Amino acid sequence: MNTNPIFSSYQKDSKLFDEIFDENQNVRPIYQKILDLYSDHSIQDFAALNEKAKASFFNQGITFQVYNDDKAQEKIFPFDLFPRIIEAEEWEILETGVLQRCKALNEFLWDIYHNRNIIRDGIVPIELINSSGNYLKQMMNFTPPNKIYNHISGTDLIKHSDGNYYVLEDNIRCPSGVSYVVGNRNALKRALFGVFNHYEIQNVTDYSENLLEMLESVKPHSVDSPTCVILTPGVYNSAYYEHSFLAKTSGIELVEGRDLFVENDFVYMKTIYGPKRVDVIYRRIDDDFIDPDVFNKDSVLGVKGLFSAYISGNVTLANAPGTGVADDKAIYTYMPEIIKYYLKEEPVLKNVHTYHCSKPDDLKFILENIDKLVIKPVDEAGGYGISIGNRLTKEEIEKVKTVIKQSPRKYIAQPIMSLSVHATYIEDNNSFEQRHVDLRTFTLLGQDKEFVLKGGLTRVALKKGNLIVNSSQGGGSKDTWVLKK
Amino acid sequence: MLARVANDLFWMGRYIERAEHTARFLNVNYFSSLDAPNMLSQSRPFVLNSVYGMVDDRVEDESTLIEEEVIYNVGLNPEKLYSILSCIKAARQNANNARDLISTEFYEALNKFYHFVMNYPKDKLVKNGLYDFTTTVTENTAILRAKIRGTIFHNEIYALILLGINIERATQITRIIQTKLHDAEKAISSYSKPIKNSYEWTTLLKCAESYDMMRGLNRRTPSQLSTLEFLILNPNCPRSVMNSLNQTYAHICQIGGNNINNLNSSAFLIGKMRAEYQFKTISEIQQDVRKFIDDTLCCLMDISSKLEEEYFDY
Repeated sequence: MNTNPIFSSYQKDSKLFDEIFDENQNVRPIYQKILDLYSDHSIQDFAALNEKAKASFFNQGITFQVYNDDKAQEKIFPFDLFPRIIEAEEWEILETGVLQRCKALNEFLWDIYHNRNIIRDGIVPIELINSSGNYLKQMMNFTPPNKIYNHISGTDLIKHSDGNYYVLEDNIRCPSGVSYVVGNRNALKRALFGVFNHYEIQNVTDYSENLLEMLESVKPHSVDSPTCVILTPGVYNSAYYEHSFLAKTSGIELVEGRDLFVENDFVYMKTIYGPKRVDVIYRRIDDDFIDPDVFNKDSVLGVKGLFSAYISGNVTLANAPGTGVADDKAIYTYMPEIIKYYLKEEPVLKNVHTYHCSKPDDLKFILENIDKLVIKPVDEAGGYGISIGNRLTKEEIEKVKTVIKQSPRKYIAQPIMSLSVHATYIEDNNSFEQRHVDLRTFTLLGQDKEFVLKGGLTRVALKKGNLIVNSSQGGGSKDTWVLKK
Repeated sequence: MLARVANDLFWMGRYIERAEHTARFLNVNYFSSLDAPNMLSQSRPFVLNSVYGMVDDRVEDESTLIEEEVIYNVGLNPEKLYSILSCIKAARQNANNARDLISTEFYEALNKFYHFVMNYPKDKLVKNGLYDFTTTVTENTAILRAKIRGTIFHNEIYALILLGINIERATQITRIIQTKLHDAEKAISSYSKPIKNSYEWTTLLKCAESYDMMRGLNRRTPSQLSTLEFLILNPNCPRSVMNSLNQTYAHICQIGGNNINNLNSSAFLIGKMRAEYQFKTISEIQQDVRKFIDDTLCCLMDISSKLEEEYFDY
């Protein structure tokens, strides 16, 4: 039974899956040690440590800008002092599962930009491809170096009340968050270093070296020793810290569009000693902005002629343009079939059952059951545009119905999943409370190279009862420990 | 290295150095005036206008100056590009652009300093915080220089920051000399009998943080000649123009040493100015100090423009 003083006021909702306490209110064995260690501290200690951790993030400049009344304000991503722990065996399943998905998505992308066998075989309907806002006709019949499209992926998972992990989303455009995995680990080590002596935890600092290895592995064929760069939209982008972190830790140049130019289908960067050829670009700007000659003509973030250099095989872009067609939430529904089709394997990770507003039968069900469903736009990221049925008023439900009926292809619906909860220090109440969490994993695919970071970002919805964990919607994050075998 | 980022590193060095000199000038000038030996040097409007002189904002009628306003403008006014706050804000912006190249330790020190300046209360500064604010600024710039020297690899990145620091130091020392010469010329008429007005030269040396060094070298009371010789020509005084030019030359050689014989290069321009200074005598300078100072500032501006044209034009 829980007799820990700092958890004496911890209110447990028995309907939710608590990562720390089981259904009988007993501490799960994996958390017993840390709970004992934490009980040496008073809640006031945690308040002080919380302040220190915040100051540490702030002083290190691990911040993002928010604009209120045209005034820029610097904010930190809230960090929680209680780590999430994942056992080695459990992690092995997750790692195998996310790699399987990423590899299947890569095969899928090659197929839909070439022969479209999966469509001909009736597995995925062609309408989903042609109507996707992220499908790029310019990528048809082009094979990226080493046939890799989704070099960098972020897979979002949740643990449902049945205790199983479910994949919520595949992010294969510009997934972010990996720098916070390292930031969180450093912050927890600074604050509560003693607890690390009692657990054998996998290290998370090897992401950048693997990133560099992966980028070098997908160099254009004609290059021996490639020059890799990270292309950022610039210092005002909310993920700029991450871009600079990745550049610094992998030892490659951080460039903006204005630092690059294309001549005779080769890409160069403007250095103090004149132009220097660039071979691999890890771009952190969306497809639409990479080249004003081909895509958004008003883009000032990209580079004129970049796409032509890419198609000529003189530069590699990671991720490849056009990957967004596969992380569309409508395609997500077909992931179990996609995995079986290309890899001839059963999916390791579960998918949340998804209803398509574009299918008449599904649409009928959705319109009749909105109060029991989550409605999501298929092509939005950051938790935007989501409606959670049981939180809506009658009027709001009617509004959602109208919106869906206007453009059914744009929406999918899923049963309301109950994200697991984890003890989280809540500053306002000066106590540990249950809050919903998810998990983002980070995967790299290159030539003969597969890597999943043994950690990940546990995102936590700081508002009580809230299911949306995205940082842009007030979410925080936790250090995530994957235990060694 | 990217030309754009090189420009940021160069200007980051300049802004950090500029903030330090402005803070020290404000501090020394203000506090030394409190018990100045003559009425003019003690008069608050005269001192405040001298502070404005340092940031090139001197007013015609100094009797209109309000102490709180001058201190705020030079210290914390975000609208004034010369304010210490604007310098640190710009330095931090430059550092953000080059964040992947500078050390984490240096960035953290600069970032903490930035937040200190941005959050310093205006009321406190103008009422009773002048000493606290200006000394904390100078201490922090010393920390930053130590972090630059100790935590950034001594390659082009370091050379570019040091180029910025040294060109700015030469410029600021020259500007301080220009301002204090102006003050001294005015003050000399306010002495009841002709004296050596050593107070002005002592203040000038303190504004350049060189008083103790000068006393160590020369036991006699500072005079105009000895002070100018020390601050302009002494290569061993780390604040002198000569020393800054030597450093600038060493760092440009690190970046563009191969270009030294190209008459149109920054390396040549810096080398030429340095050589001219190396063999200059104080008696030559004394013939027309004002012109010498104007020429020095012009040369330093030309060097900065040449660097921009040669390395930062992106």
